[in-house]
Amino acid sequence: MPDCNKNFESEIKEGKNLRNVKCKYCSSLILTPSTGTFTSFEFNLPLMKQSKVNDSNPDTENVSLFWAVNEMYTFQNVGFSNTVGDNKYLTCADCEAGPIGFHDIPSKKSYVALSRVQHV
Amino acid sequence: MAKTYDYLFKLLLIGDSGVGKTCVLFRFSEDAFNTTFISTIGIDFKIRTIDLDGKKIKLQIWDTAGQERFRTITTAYYRGAMGIMLVYDITNEKSFENIKNWIRNIEENASADVEKMLLGNKCELEEKRQVSKERGEQLAIEYGIKFIETSAKASIRVEEAFFTLARDIKAKMEKKLEASNPPKGGHQLRASEPQRKPPSWLSRCTLL
Repeated sequence: MPDCNKNFESEIKEGKNLRNVKCKYCSSLILTPSTGTFTSFEFNLPLMKQSKVNDSNPDTENVSLFWAVNEMYTFQNVGFSNTVGDNKYLTCADCEAGPIGFHDIPSKKSYVALSRVQHV
Repeated sequence: MAKTYDYLFKLLLIGDSGVGKTCVLFRFSEDAFNTTFISTIGIDFKIRTIDLDGKKIKLQIWDTAGQERFRTITTAYYRGAMGIMLVYDITNEKSFENIKNWIRNIEENASADVEKMLLGNKCELEEKRQVSKERGEQLAIEYGIKFIETSAKASIRVEEAFFTLARDIKAKMEKKLEASNPPKGGHQLRASEPQRKPPSWLSRCTLL
């Protein structure tokens, strides 16, 4: 799996995503070009796979590169998980792989992690 | 910011558990030692985009998310719903009989003009069929709604079902708009537009 984080700058054009954002596993279309705004901050995103022994305390990784989406209907296809704290997690609408990012309920903004999707 | 779509439809999937509303062909894999984070917390709703007669339609699709086990769904769940897919399993007589209960539940709780459609799912399992196609058609006629047999697993006609429901909601909205704002000239809405090629998401194994 190529890590887009290494080359992420080539994916940005005028602060937006240059190419389509798709699911890494089934290629479902998530965002069309220039609909996500590049943003960088630190967030502990749960890993897609979790060990069965610690259900209540999921393993996370620090993720820092995101496509910010102001309005949820900007997405072409996406799933929203049930609420956890102030967030809903984003998933692929087809194969349900996720989290591919998260939705912040107070601000109504969604953030797609560059490392959890493919750019094509 | 400019709106990126023409219409937004809220749709509900309703039916007994196990009728295949959320059957997925390929799901991000689980194994003996690992579970997926998403399957643990569950999905609330999905957003899908379809192109219908040149208009961009956003579908916000909600599943009953286990509420169906209580055989009733609350008014809150129906709020704002514009379309409802009533789903039964053609290999399960009970799920078909319960459609009547679901319709009663809808009549009591949902908006009166919600667009409904009946779906007989799992039609790939012909050898296990318990409910004939004719009975499905008959029930749909009784309630004055459309009917289609689908196979989410074999991706048969699922796309057609969603397009049909979305097209009917759109037609209803345009009719209302027309009624409240009648055109001056001899303008007429076209009764039917050519079918478009469905997008790929609908040909996968999931109704939701």
